[in-house]
Amino acid sequence: MKRRFDTGNAAITEAAIFAGCRVFAGYPITPATEIAENMSRRLPEVGGYYVQAEDETAALHICNGASLGGLKAMTATSGPGYILFADPFGWALSSEIPVVIVNSQRVGPVSGITGAPGQGEFYLSRYLAHGGNYETIVLAPASVQEAFSLTAEAFYLSERFRTPVTLLADQMVTDGWETLSLPETPEDAEVLGVRTWNRQVHPGPEFYPATDEIDIPPVVIGHNTGGACSDWTPTAAGHDTEDVELQHKHAYRLIYKIRNHRELIDRFECYGLEDDPEIILVSYGTPSRVVKSAVNSARQRGIRAGGIRLISLWPFPDQIFNLPSRYLSVELNWDGQLVREVRRAASKAMSVHFLGKCGELPTGTELQDAIDAILKDQPRHTQSWKLEAW
Amino acid sequence: MDTLVEKFLRPEKYPGTACRGCGLRVLHRQVLEAIDELQLGLADVVWGTGIGCTGRQTFATWKGDTFAGTHGRVYALATGLRLALPAEKRIVLTVGDGDAFTIGLLHLLNCARRNVDMTVIVGDNLGYQSTGGQYSMTTPQGSRTDSSPYGMWEQNLTQNGIDVLRIIKEAGATYVARHSVTEKRAPIESIKKALQNRGFSLVQLVYPCVTHFGAQALRTRDLKKIYQWFEERAVGPADQDSGTGFGCGVLHDASNARPEFSAALREHVNSVQRRSLSGESN
Repeated sequence: MKRRFDTGNAAITEAAIFAGCRVFAGYPITPATEIAENMSRRLPEVGGYYVQAEDETAALHICNGASLGGLKAMTATSGPGYILFADPFGWALSSEIPVVIVNSQRVGPVSGITGAPGQGEFYLSRYLAHGGNYETIVLAPASVQEAFSLTAEAFYLSERFRTPVTLLADQMVTDGWETLSLPETPEDAEVLGVRTWNRQVHPGPEFYPATDEIDIPPVVIGHNTGGACSDWTPTAAGHDTEDVELQHKHAYRLIYKIRNHRELIDRFECYGLEDDPEIILVSYGTPSRVVKSAVNSARQRGIRAGGIRLISLWPFPDQIFNLPSRYLSVELNWDGQLVREVRRAASKAMSVHFLGKCGELPTGTELQDAIDAILKDQPRHTQSWKLEAW
Repeated sequence: MDTLVEKFLRPEKYPGTACRGCGLRVLHRQVLEAIDELQLGLADVVWGTGIGCTGRQTFATWKGDTFAGTHGRVYALATGLRLALPAEKRIVLTVGDGDAFTIGLLHLLNCARRNVDMTVIVGDNLGYQSTGGQYSMTTPQGSRTDSSPYGMWEQNLTQNGIDVLRIIKEAGATYVARHSVTEKRAPIESIKKALQNRGFSLVQLVYPCVTHFGAQALRTRDLKKIYQWFEERAVGPADQDSGTGFGCGVLHDASNARPEFSAALREHVNSVQRRSLSGESN
């Protein structure tokens, strides 16, 4: 195992190369620029290609095209570029072409603040493509080391499910410096929990089965398989059709190949849930680190507090929100996004609350005050306006 | 079924869904003839398509490997694909005038700048016909369309001294030609030249739309009259600015004169690897 002190951006770069990524196309944007820079330096060293695209739409389409030809590809951006991914993300999703997308979330809306963390694209990451009729996989790292493992996992999942996988990071994870362990041997990789998946060429002629099956190689163009690949509703051979029944089969496949294999996707960290917790703090990404300290402090003060850290965001892991407790969602946005899913999933919740902040992390004191206020049933009026009952 | 169709097209996709009398069938055949005359086979060509009449009607007709992009984005998709394909594979894209010259122009120009090896066949039916006949940036001024009921008044990209093909040439394309499909032989020769260029080639082929452009702008569905209108305009560039023609011919031929994108990138990667092997720092 090789250890070094580095950023989340570097971790993502190294993980992509470890996972076999050989094409990166991107457009510079704060705070994800460093990933592009690192890729431009590292990819040629391993025989890979860095392409600076004319915009983010082209960037992801170039990745899609490379993947369509059989090469693993990744792109990285932040909010203003992420929205331009809508078109190529939908293409990869419907065409069932693996690709990895990194979004280092900054403060919004729109241009917002470039160099500060936000979590405003929780729902956008679920619904980036128009038209519905799909399920998608989104992973959220909370540390530099996890940025490494989840990026590699994103490649692994995108190949197995032949779908785009999104790494929804935030500025603090990607810009932050921490100790990073890199695997040098397969045993190291196992310890770090990262896997790779080598793509096969789909032999055809039936490229699009109407089942929820996974581990089917995607269509690869250029190997004379007679592959037909498009974002249109496909027949089994990949030809475009306007047939409503075939469209239903296509949508079924896009939804249930993911929903029916949740055990391969669901990732979360639960703590303090064993002794009938009075309050459960829910978070993902960087804020979850402050949240964990706050839960520990509350425990020391005699409060039965617990925590849920989401590592996979979509599909949303409803099943872990089954305790009849009070829930507090801590997020880096002012409007409340994750809290909506918590409220929906936690059907036995006594109450659901939201603590929002953006551009900076909530402090331990703010979290302690919020916990105390909620347990005293005074969530809205006596405390900071940032705390809301939902 | 004739031999070209049998040789190159998927039987379930023939005769296709284009309207009666559509010039796209002529265009499609001209591309196949050029491929055949160069003795290229199914394994030599991968065929991509855009959105609109030209793209949708030609998608998955090619019996070999085939793909479709979103509207205006297939140029970026093909750029990525180029990196994964061996240099000898030809990429042919059949796209429309809206796809290439309006929504996709940014990506098209960047492909020209990079000189990405691909042959873009712009099937120009003088408007957005698959959505029912609205004007595009190749619709002649004055034309009545569904979105210009009083006549197309906007500056387009093909009249009054503006020519989109000159823009594409200046952006770095290494082969640029324009024809009317009514010219019969000349389009095939240009497509052949385009396919032999290891770089970015674009051939614009103006073709008649009977259902919309014919009926609306020319006020007739008479095939003979419509095709005659196109034949009359299949004149050289000298007559283009006078407003009497399309400006047909080879506008630029610098085939194989400039480094191709994927070849240059491979060379760059090789040089980095050589440097790092010899222990030089960057």
